[in-house]
Amino acid sequence: MEGLTGNPLADIVAPIEELSESFNSAVVFQLGPWSISQYTLWMFIVIVLLVAIVLIAAKKITLVPKNKFASMVEYGYDAIRRNMGEGAIGHGYEKHMPFLATLFFFILLANVIGLIPGTKTATGTLSVTWALALISFVYFNFYGVKAKGGWGYIKAIAPHGLPKPMVPVIWFFEFFSLVIRLLTLAVRLYGNMFAGHMILGIFAIMTQVFVLDAILFASPLTALPGVVWFLFIFIMYVLECLVAFLQAYVFTILSAVYIGLATGEH
Amino acid sequence: METIMTIAALKIVGYGLGTIGPGIGLGLCGYGLCVGAARQPEMAGRLFTNALIFGALAEALALIGFVLTFIF
Repeated sequence: MEGLTGNPLADIVAPIEELSESFNSAVVFQLGPWSISQYTLWMFIVIVLLVAIVLIAAKKITLVPKNKFASMVEYGYDAIRRNMGEGAIGHGYEKHMPFLATLFFFILLANVIGLIPGTKTATGTLSVTWALALISFVYFNFYGVKAKGGWGYIKAIAPHGLPKPMVPVIWFFEFFSLVIRLLTLAVRLYGNMFAGHMILGIFAIMTQVFVLDAILFASPLTALPGVVWFLFIFIMYVLECLVAFLQAYVFTILSAVYIGLATGEH
Repeated sequence: METIMTIAALKIVGYGLGTIGPGIGLGLCGYGLCVGAARQPEMAGRLFTNALIFGALAEALALIGFVLTFIF
């Protein structure tokens, strides 16, 4: 912290710029022709962890649950099966379960790992969330076309039983809402994770600047807001833990709902 | 510099204005879900799914506003 002026409001400008720069996709290392950014690196770490967790749990699985770790993973999978499979897709949900479970656990693990100080949230960048949303988008359109046939799927975008002249108008709106799903899925996850970490960072900077100013310029009163910001970090951190779970849940259940809409009868 | 700051400030104000509508919409969506589930608890599962669809639709506008602050 160089060049402190003693005025906390002037001192926070430089660290906040530094903070927003730290959210850019900085290249960590080169892998042949590809540059691996910090977010991609953490995405790979999450993938490796996820595969390891599932493989270890799968090895320990028994008919009568004995192992606590395996039971935990089994319970998580079962919760998704009940909530998202049966609840949102309904009939014929069984074949979509691997996709939904992978999606949920990948996003959950990426979000939770990002909460550990010193790590990066893989889902905190648009590139990763675009990829996830694109996978989901292609998946539900593919199964929609498979279930209804190409022309049938296009027709089924507009709900059944409308008066004839209204069909093109409603079809257009429904089509727009269908295409916009790609954007909203990606941006919802990205916005929540990015904004949450930005707020945590800003609160940390506030604490640091206020406390440092109080120590360096011997004005104890300046430290008071610092203490309040410090408490705010804890509150926000608890909220972020909730958001990390909630966003994984929302992304997956929306994918499940879209699959259900695409494959089911309108 | 002044112009850049003004544009940056206007973006944030515009996004703030853009969140009013979706905020009301999401609130109404949650209200409808709670009221419906309280009256007919056995319908809660299907209502929740529908509430998610319409919540996602209402939220789309706020998210488009969020993206526009990055584009322009």
